[in-house]
Amino acid sequence: MPRVHLLAPHEAPLTVRDFFAEGDPGPIAASLAQVPELLGPAMAFVGAALGPGAVDARAREMVVLRCSAVQRCRYCTQTHSAVALDAGFSLDEVRALRGEAPLEEIFSDPRDLALLAWTDAMATGPGQIADGLHAALALHFAEHEIVELALLASATVMLNRYCSALLLPVDEEHLRRLARECLGELRD
Amino acid sequence: MIEVAQAIAGGRLSGRLWIVSNLDCNLACAFCLTASSPLADRRAMTADEMLRVAREGRDLGFAALGVTGGEPLLLPWVPEAVAEMAGLLPTVLLTNGTLLRGRRLEEALRAWAGLPIAVQLSLDHPDPATNDAGRGPGSHASVVHAARELALHGIRVRIATTAAGLPPEEWEALRRLARDLGVAEADHLLRPIARRGRAAGLGSAIAPGLHNVPAELAITRDGAFWSTFGTTVRDGRLDTDLLLTRRTAPLSLPVRAMLDVAAGRPPRGKTAQGFR
Repeated sequence: MPRVHLLAPHEAPLTVRDFFAEGDPGPIAASLAQVPELLGPAMAFVGAALGPGAVDARAREMVVLRCSAVQRCRYCTQTHSAVALDAGFSLDEVRALRGEAPLEEIFSDPRDLALLAWTDAMATGPGQIADGLHAALALHFAEHEIVELALLASATVMLNRYCSALLLPVDEEHLRRLARECLGELRD
Repeated sequence: MIEVAQAIAGGRLSGRLWIVSNLDCNLACAFCLTASSPLADRRAMTADEMLRVAREGRDLGFAALGVTGGEPLLLPWVPEAVAEMAGLLPTVLLTNGTLLRGRRLEEALRAWAGLPIAVQLSLDHPDPATNDAGRGPGSHASVVHAARELALHGIRVRIATTAAGLPPEEWEALRRLARDLGVAEADHLLRPIARRGRAAGLGSAIAPGLHNVPAELAITRDGAFWSTFGTTVRDGRLDTDLLLTRRTAPLSLPVRAMLDVAAGRPPRGKTAQGFR
């Protein structure tokens, strides 16, 4: 049960009706629509930060799902578990990214491990990211890619906190899909 | 803002800027748009905020101001605030009229003397019993008294009649009463019952929307709306379908949003993306 009212299409404010043109825009947009002047800029930012970039889609999805799992964000973890499966991640990989299996048993590529160690630090905080984690990441990613990754992880943490604060509901279809894959609720 | 003046001149935007001072009321009318009552959440604007909006509205090019509620006169600072607003632009105050009596009336008459203020009172039926059945006991007599006192002191009175299908003879009797109270023909307004608020389930009422409600910017504590027909409440929740922006400072922010909608332009900042 979300903690705020999610606007239905017939309740869409005048200035953001485009977001509801095809029906339910999803809980993030439907909640943000309560403050219509935030919806456009926020979704544009999120779309830019989480959308395609110089870093490959697989690495990006690893960052999003891992951040969300570390943050214990139910909405983002469940949603992106389904996204990751659709993107070709194996069930074991998804389980490991969700924290349900040791990363090192599933991921062996040094690039993946460097990215995940750095992502864990980004999602856990506080304080600066250790030099060693940055140096390991820099062996595999160019500077502009690290900038992208830093924004991607930061935007994900922002969304994790937003969705967790408002208890945004996970799409029922996603939940059914995850249940079929034996990926249940998050463990505390 | 030259665009405001152009939009007003072109008929795309009303010249009157509305300020919704509060959402509670001493009455609880069956057809109330804002579902106001003594128990409703007040959601009041402060006098400073009302005057800030009024000043910015004048500077942006609006030609007149309006104050409505709820019942604005539940707020003790409203008579003085209305007087200050009238020093900026001609101002109309919408009130059910039942609180304009005794010391409150005397103070209002003193504050409003000589200023471009019109007071719009609610009177729905020529017969006191019928009127009061909808508005509340004693409201007919209070409104008639207030109208006479205001007119006596040179303050322009408007009468708003909210009704659906008033028989011609009753409408004529109401018009006669309004004339007797010194209300000009053009200042007696017949307002349809809107299918919002407490009348949301009333099938015979008119459902206001972008297609049939003129662009009349309304500022509330909870945001800026396309019209005072948009600042409505249902089941304790403010309707959002005619909401423009939550932030109202600076006033140019909702004004810009309103002009965009009025011009049929897409809202600023909207970008294509598939994130849900």
